[in-house]
Amino acid sequence: MNPFFSNRRLIVLLVCLIFLVGLIGYSLSEQRTLSWPEQFVQDSVGVVQSAFSRPAYWVSNSLDAVGDIRDVYRENQVLKSQLEEHASVLVERNQLEERNAELEEALELESDLSDYTSHQAMVIQRSPDRWNERIGLNVGAQDGITEDMAVVTSAGLVGKIREVSQFTSTVQLLSDQDASNRISARTDGEDTAFGFMEGIDEESGHLRFTKIDMEIEVEEGDIVSTSGLGGIFPSGITIGEIVSVQSDEYGLSQTALVEPSADSHQLDYVTVLDREAPGGEDNSEEEEEEEE
Amino acid sequence: MSRLLLPLTIFILFIIEGTVFQIFSGSSHQDTWYFIPYFMLMLVILTGIFRGRSHGLFYGIFFGLLYDIVYGSVLGIYTFGMGLTAYIFSISAAPIKRSLRMLTVVILGAVIALEYYLYGMMSLLGMTGESHGGLFLTRFLPTFIINGIVAALIVSPVRYWFYTVDGRDDGR
Repeated sequence: MNPFFSNRRLIVLLVCLIFLVGLIGYSLSEQRTLSWPEQFVQDSVGVVQSAFSRPAYWVSNSLDAVGDIRDVYRENQVLKSQLEEHASVLVERNQLEERNAELEEALELESDLSDYTSHQAMVIQRSPDRWNERIGLNVGAQDGITEDMAVVTSAGLVGKIREVSQFTSTVQLLSDQDASNRISARTDGEDTAFGFMEGIDEESGHLRFTKIDMEIEVEEGDIVSTSGLGGIFPSGITIGEIVSVQSDEYGLSQTALVEPSADSHQLDYVTVLDREAPGGEDNSEEEEEEEE
Repeated sequence: MSRLLLPLTIFILFIIEGTVFQIFSGSSHQDTWYFIPYFMLMLVILTGIFRGRSHGLFYGIFFGLLYDIVYGSVLGIYTFGMGLTAYIFSISAAPIKRSLRMLTVVILGAVIALEYYLYGMMSLLGMTGESHGGLFLTRFLPTFIINGIVAALIVSPVRYWFYTVDGRDDGR
């Protein structure tokens, strides 16, 4: 048997240790964009991951479909009863939208914080060690994705784009515990409270909505959504519902715990929102998606 | 072809851990318990045991780096951790090679060592603030038990495969 620490291997190990410290220092620096070797590796691995994910989603969705068959009849009854209501809501919505467009035209508003265009994306990977909550998407810089864009599902916000390479990108979910994971948010109560979403509370597993003004009363059941302030998030994307409120450790502001509306554990297809390019064509795209 | 088969298998395990595995294990891990797959590490350790320490070290560092770039948020943690684990646990002594039970124990030791190394690194870098007591039942114990079972299942076929490709050298 070889000696445990032969000279050559010991040197390799020491070089590795130095490499580790250097790399950690390099990757912890704030506002770092991906270097080209990382982009190359992520893109090439991303192609293989897409090839594995696609059939896996197909199988998983078929299995779900088999399970759903049992509930079809009951769901059909419920949906039928909602259908009439839906039609009237749709008419009302169209009227309101027209009226809104007219009023905006009259005021000569060009764009506001809630305008955006969207990109559809498939989730191709999720980091298997659960220390960081990140997922990979099959869209990248070539599709017009840039850092800090909002990532949503039909139920609400799930996270923001953290790393972008040419054909893939990485999303930092709301539940990620990184210190830089901060999203400006607001409540919809009578007094609007502004604050930040900052990771999760480790005991309860709910999202933390922090830095709320002491003066403002925040109640359980209030809906929290993005404020559109700071960064390139559109406003009015649902994040979740407040389940409890407490004052922070110094008693200077309040912290609320929020139950997220989107389930970040079962993600397959998501939408990336881009606030920067409002325009005539993009609006028609949005409408098409809403109809789907 | 047989030369490419091993790195290809490790690579496929690497991909599966992040894609197919995550899709099918999706619902079960909030609040109750979850486990982290270390299938790639197992194969790397077995390579180290049956092909020698330098092989294990090479695969450990290479796939550790890949893991860091694709799945990790901080570069270098897995590169060093998997390299070190592969180096320490590549014990190619005949008694270990001969006994399936010993092989399973060595692999499980590697899984436990890497998991605790990662917990230490993540606490050090402030990526997690969770206490060991809170994580032990929800994360560590299920991870060790399930990976131990998987290790016990795969050692026999993997050893057979190494012996058919490389020839038997445990002196029997």
